[in-house]
Amino acid sequence: MTTGKPRPPVRPSWFDTKLPRARGDITWIYLWGAPLRFSHWLSAVTLLILFVTGLFISFPMWVTAGEASSHFLMGRFRFIHYTAAAFLVFGGIIRVYWMFAGNQFERWPALWPFTRTNLRHALTMLKSYATLNADIQPHFVGHNPLAQGAYTTIYVLTTIMIFTGFAMYGQSNPGGFFYTMFGWVPSLLGGLQHVRLLHHSIAWFYPIFFCIHIYLAIRSDYLERAGVVSSMLTGGRFVASHEKFEDCDLGDQPAVPWHTGEHPVWVKEP
Amino acid sequence: MFLRNAEPWMDGSTLGEHLEESGVSRRSFLEFCTEMAVILGLGSAAAPSVAKALEAQKRPTVIWLEMQECTGCVESVLRTEAPTIGDLVLDVVSLDYSETLMAAAGHAVEKAKADSMAKNKGGYVLIVTGSVPTKEDGIYCMVAGRTIREHLEEAAEGAAAIIALGACAHWGSVQAARPNPTGAVGVRDIIKNKPIINIAGCPPIGDVVTASVVHFLTFGRLPSTDREGRPLFAYGNRIHDDCPRRAHYDAGQYVENFDDDAARRGWCLYQMGCKGPATYSPCPIVQWNNRTSWPIGAGHPCIGCTEPYFWDTMTPFYRRLPEVGGFGVEERVDTIGASLAIGAAAGVLTHAGMTVLHQIRRRKSMKQVPEHEHPATEESHNG
Repeated sequence: MTTGKPRPPVRPSWFDTKLPRARGDITWIYLWGAPLRFSHWLSAVTLLILFVTGLFISFPMWVTAGEASSHFLMGRFRFIHYTAAAFLVFGGIIRVYWMFAGNQFERWPALWPFTRTNLRHALTMLKSYATLNADIQPHFVGHNPLAQGAYTTIYVLTTIMIFTGFAMYGQSNPGGFFYTMFGWVPSLLGGLQHVRLLHHSIAWFYPIFFCIHIYLAIRSDYLERAGVVSSMLTGGRFVASHEKFEDCDLGDQPAVPWHTGEHPVWVKEP
Repeated sequence: MFLRNAEPWMDGSTLGEHLEESGVSRRSFLEFCTEMAVILGLGSAAAPSVAKALEAQKRPTVIWLEMQECTGCVESVLRTEAPTIGDLVLDVVSLDYSETLMAAAGHAVEKAKADSMAKNKGGYVLIVTGSVPTKEDGIYCMVAGRTIREHLEEAAEGAAAIIALGACAHWGSVQAARPNPTGAVGVRDIIKNKPIINIAGCPPIGDVVTASVVHFLTFGRLPSTDREGRPLFAYGNRIHDDCPRRAHYDAGQYVENFDDDAARRGWCLYQMGCKGPATYSPCPIVQWNNRTSWPIGAGHPCIGCTEPYFWDTMTPFYRRLPEVGGFGVEERVDTIGASLAIGAAAGVLTHAGMTVLHQIRRRKSMKQVPEHEHPATEESHNG
């Protein structure tokens, strides 16, 4: 590209002056399958839309003026809400399929990491966050048990949201498909108002989860430099060959420099 | 109107004969049958079948038990448009026992009830209003020296069908609201072996009761119901979906105060806590008191009185969602949720700041590795 003059060295910014260079071999492993990544981003977008439109449906803060015939504000918000919900369910179906077809980090047993050892690791993670001490963190190829616990919780809550949502949706067509299929939900919860309250209350978990989830993902990228954030786009992350993991042994994975393009694909537990 | 000069309906004669004796024109009888067929959702074309079945009907017997209640249901049924109350209760059906409507009292009427039940065993219709107290052996509601529960069990024994009239009779209504001091329960919690229909509402619309009785007389069985036991012909649709103010809901036009301009314009009462979106009732169609009006028509939000345990589930009546307690002060779920979300955002930002500061301090304390001792690749990124 360039000839002649030697290129100047990279000048580090002031706070990176003493950053040690990564040692040893860095490997890029393929971790998250395309269906998982697709359903992740689909959920991210639809949940955001669902939260915002849901807030309006529960509390219509804008009131239109003039004749009712010239407006359809609530109607449009409800339409967007229901459409986004349909896409969310579509992504959810893909995720459920991938729970059976994916690799060991994506399959359904991975959603339930609550063994004694894993609970200890989760506690250590909490301690690490509380004391800002990243050195005590156990290392995982997939999610650490604390993160996995949060994701499993969101899966469960979203399932409740889908059921309560469809139960309310079905009310506009008594005797119809959704009314019949989800009729047991209001009976179980003791009336439609309780369905409404539950749906509304759980909705508030999403902004809380969004904040913490995005923060911890970026933070982990900042501290560990393993490419966690981009792993949800590219599907892979970096591992150093000397790094030891709690959830699996990378063993004799060949230490291929990641930029050669020969990405070792992680498929099965040894 | 319907039976102006009613003669007593004698045992053994059919309704057709009785109407003829009373001087009711064929025309007004068919008008009544048409109206009932329409309310029942059969369509006006079914009117001849209804008429045929009704006029062949022998004098039916109705026992009306009033338990722990306010008599509002009786008041509501008295205002049934057609036939008028005198026609319906005293003539068309033979009401052998009703505390509010009967003229007789005391031992005589108790005996008349016992005689009627014995004579029509297995054939009479039992209408029940009010709830059954179960605490302290049910002493909170006594009639003629016995608990109402005994009366109910005795009357239900020989009934062909039970019409649970009003919110009390099925779910206990206000008496059964938390903390339910008398242990009030509905009829279906006491009587398990009889067909029970739930004419829900506090009170229900009288025409729904009349139509249910007509259905029973025409077909010999109670109308088909939803999963709450309410007849589908009346409770098949949500108020929200039949509401004349629905266009304002979809347009985003809401009353925000009972005295604002939107209220005068008749906009949607959603923001005032209207329970129409959660309530199944024929109120918008059939309306009340000879189609005079109905709550939302009069500018008041629906309180959801036809829904299960509405005093517990539909309150507060002027808020959209139930209250969330547990903090000493009642907090709305939005306040709690928004506080938690803002708290999470603030916590995350604080934590992020602390992490960065910590990391900078840590790096400053590190010894820089000279370039020639470093075993990594030759690319010189990150200093």
